[in-house]
Amino acid sequence: MKQSSLSSKFSGVSIKVINSLLPVLLAFFIGGIIIAAIGENPLSAYGTMIGKQLFTAKGLGNTLHYASPLILTGLAIAITFKANIYNMGVEGQMLLGAFFSGIVGSSLSTGNAIVDKLMCFAVGAICGMLFALIPALLKAFFHVDEMVVTLTFNYAMAKVLEYLASGPFRDAGAGYVCTPAIANSATFSRLGKSRLTLFFFIALAIFLVMWFVMKRTKLGYQVTAIGKNAEFAEATGMRVRCKIIILMLISGALAGIAGSGYMMSEQFRYTLDFSGSPGLGWDGMLIALLGRHSPVGILVASLFYSVLKTGADTINTYTSVPKEIVAVIQSLMILFLAVQFLNERFGLIERFKKLRAEKKEA
Amino acid sequence: MSIIRTVDLTKKFDEFVANDHINLSVEPQEIKCIVGENGAGKSTLMNMLYGTLIPTSGSILIDEQPVKFKSPIDAMNHGIGMVHQHFKLVPSLTVYENILLGTEITKKGLPLIDSGEEIRRVQGIIDEYHFQLKPTDRVEDLSVGQCQQVEILKMLYRNVRILILDEPSAVLTPQEVDRLIENLKDLRKNGKTIIVITHKLREVMELSDSVTVIRQGKVIGTVMTKDTNEQELAQMMVGRDVVLTVSNEGGMPSSDEVAYRVEDLHTINAHGAEVVSGVSFEVKKGEVFGIAGVEGNGQSELVKLLTGLMTTTKGRVYLEGRDITNLWPDQLRKAGIGIIPEDRYGQGLCQSMSIPDNCIAGYWYDKEVCQYGVLKKKSILQRAREYIQKYDIRVASEQGYVSELSGGNAQKIIIAREFESHPRLIIACQPTRGVDVGSIEFIHKQLLRFRNEGYSVLLISSELSEIMSLSDRVAVMYKGKIIGEVDPKTISTSEIGLLMAGATSQRNEVPV
Repeated sequence: MKQSSLSSKFSGVSIKVINSLLPVLLAFFIGGIIIAAIGENPLSAYGTMIGKQLFTAKGLGNTLHYASPLILTGLAIAITFKANIYNMGVEGQMLLGAFFSGIVGSSLSTGNAIVDKLMCFAVGAICGMLFALIPALLKAFFHVDEMVVTLTFNYAMAKVLEYLASGPFRDAGAGYVCTPAIANSATFSRLGKSRLTLFFFIALAIFLVMWFVMKRTKLGYQVTAIGKNAEFAEATGMRVRCKIIILMLISGALAGIAGSGYMMSEQFRYTLDFSGSPGLGWDGMLIALLGRHSPVGILVASLFYSVLKTGADTINTYTSVPKEIVAVIQSLMILFLAVQFLNERFGLIERFKKLRAEKKEA
Repeated sequence: MSIIRTVDLTKKFDEFVANDHINLSVEPQEIKCIVGENGAGKSTLMNMLYGTLIPTSGSILIDEQPVKFKSPIDAMNHGIGMVHQHFKLVPSLTVYENILLGTEITKKGLPLIDSGEEIRRVQGIIDEYHFQLKPTDRVEDLSVGQCQQVEILKMLYRNVRILILDEPSAVLTPQEVDRLIENLKDLRKNGKTIIVITHKLREVMELSDSVTVIRQGKVIGTVMTKDTNEQELAQMMVGRDVVLTVSNEGGMPSSDEVAYRVEDLHTINAHGAEVVSGVSFEVKKGEVFGIAGVEGNGQSELVKLLTGLMTTTKGRVYLEGRDITNLWPDQLRKAGIGIIPEDRYGQGLCQSMSIPDNCIAGYWYDKEVCQYGVLKKKSILQRAREYIQKYDIRVASEQGYVSELSGGNAQKIIIAREFESHPRLIIACQPTRGVDVGSIEFIHKQLLRFRNEGYSVLLISSELSEIMSLSDRVAVMYKGKIIGEVDPKTISTSEIGLLMAGATSQRNEVPV
């Protein structure tokens, strides 16, 4: 009995890992076919990319650097997913947080490095929270589907910020649309040769706190319970409505901090392609899915995803494979993850099997 | 010759064998009862006969001809009809429209429904089988018992020969049950074969010609009803001797001190209808106070009010003098109320969480398991271990999921959790629904022990025998009001049945 339960537990974990890896492996496999068609050896191309990004000091530093905001956006999404709430507006919350911490960092600088950074983080977190509060209140009090609201808000926010950046807050001296650069005291300086800054360690610390919250606290317990059985949560007195709002606020704060951290460690000013394409918030969604909403999974997934992002340039420089191959792999991963997600939700494969069995019988 | 027969019918859900080589045979024109505890596999078997589940192996023979059902339509074409526990009727349509739904009769050559002809035909079958229904009544105006008749008529209209009923008496008053039994016997006289799934042994004895007992997916035995008795059937169902009803004798007499007082409680549901209108009662110390009533007369809403899941529009609730109206569920628990909710897996437990996690649900205020918002994993596990031992909960693994437990063992987790927090009052709502006979006995004993220690129990159950045997006083609810209070030791089942149906008898009439 003990033996079997142990082995079943083990196989449960390994199935989870395999399930996470499968879309990735498939994406890499198809990407490999394309690389082979270009005339390069896929294994050596992948090897170059991963080797340079993980096993050289500079590459690893860059990987960690770009993983920092992704850890936070991934967590922001995962924490709500866990409670069966879907904050799809992390991108917008992140942008808003970034924008105003950029404005504050450039115009209200005190000159003190610590005060400035804390101020920027605070502004970012507050902006993210306020922007997440709207769908949270709509959801909690009027049962408005938060998925739709948060999703559409992203585009609205991008347009609003575009207006603000090109109008009221535009840096008049720059030749393109952007806000003024933040003060030196508000920027994170690089540690060593790579782009790595203190922001990574801040993100890591936040990650540890969130891990503790999810695994060891009453709030984490309640979030899990709400996600698994909302009626049970209500009946045992978890105040689901209130918890939904708290969760969305945490999620928004994480998104906002991700934005201001990225502002202070990488971009230094708000531009129209501040968050890149796909944006950090969208990447976070993929990471949350890849990491299966578990904190450790998210950490691994954001590191991996960062390897891919930064690896694009490496693959361009060291092989004849164009950097767009990485975008191809990313899209394939999204596709396969979506298939997997739908299968888990709606049992596609089961239905297909049943249909075939019925046909055979007939 | 059997009209329907199964040979080694087996159904597996992954590893779990729900039906294990079932050999069942039903004779033409007999009433066959299938009895067994919940989870024994009765429903699985019926769903295979009705085509909603496809057997893993084995075969079904109708008139000794092997058949394969892929959907209920196939079963219907072979003359098998099923009346489900939850009715599938359209409330805003009339009786005849519901019966002919999907098979409407049209006027010759015109795409118009011939209502006159439809009503005539429905009236015809109503007369043929002596049902008390008017074809033109709207279903929303019918009682639960009448709705069930409509369901049965729906099947009869489609010319079924074999009628399967799943727990047909679960939602009926005793009078309605009697009518149902009469109706079913009439149907048999008219040549129909009837299979009834139930776990109410009294009905089995009154209704059936033969009984098949199923336990853990296997047929334990088939007996002719005239050769058996309730005690024997119960023993076959559980596999050991059981005390069918725990008597509440031997407790200390209830004191006059009021433990729990409910005053003029009102509430409205989501549609704005008043579902609880002016409920007042008192529960004394050392007393089991029962609330009986046919399901859907406001008991669920009353329980929701009392357990913090709904808010009142008017009225107050006091526990030992303290106003606890409209508190949250966790505040109520902290105030000293243990809650055994109606829907075990909906409100009581979270199946996809571990046993220890379920053992602390609602009791985070307890500093032993949670301090400063941080859970104490070790003491939580320790607590789960104690509960498992003390309440004899059969688990495969202490940290396993609740979904791995049987209904009875899952219910015991709730019982342990709520009793071990030492409340002053337990609100027990359908505490033994869907629980095996052995666990019923255990739960009843726990409730009485608690009462005997001088605490109070508010018992709400649609299981009349449970209310009658456990309670010291019983209030009957009808249409959101308490319409009478009775002494369970002196009142007869038919008298309380009348009350449940809304007829206030002479002696219970409240002077105006």
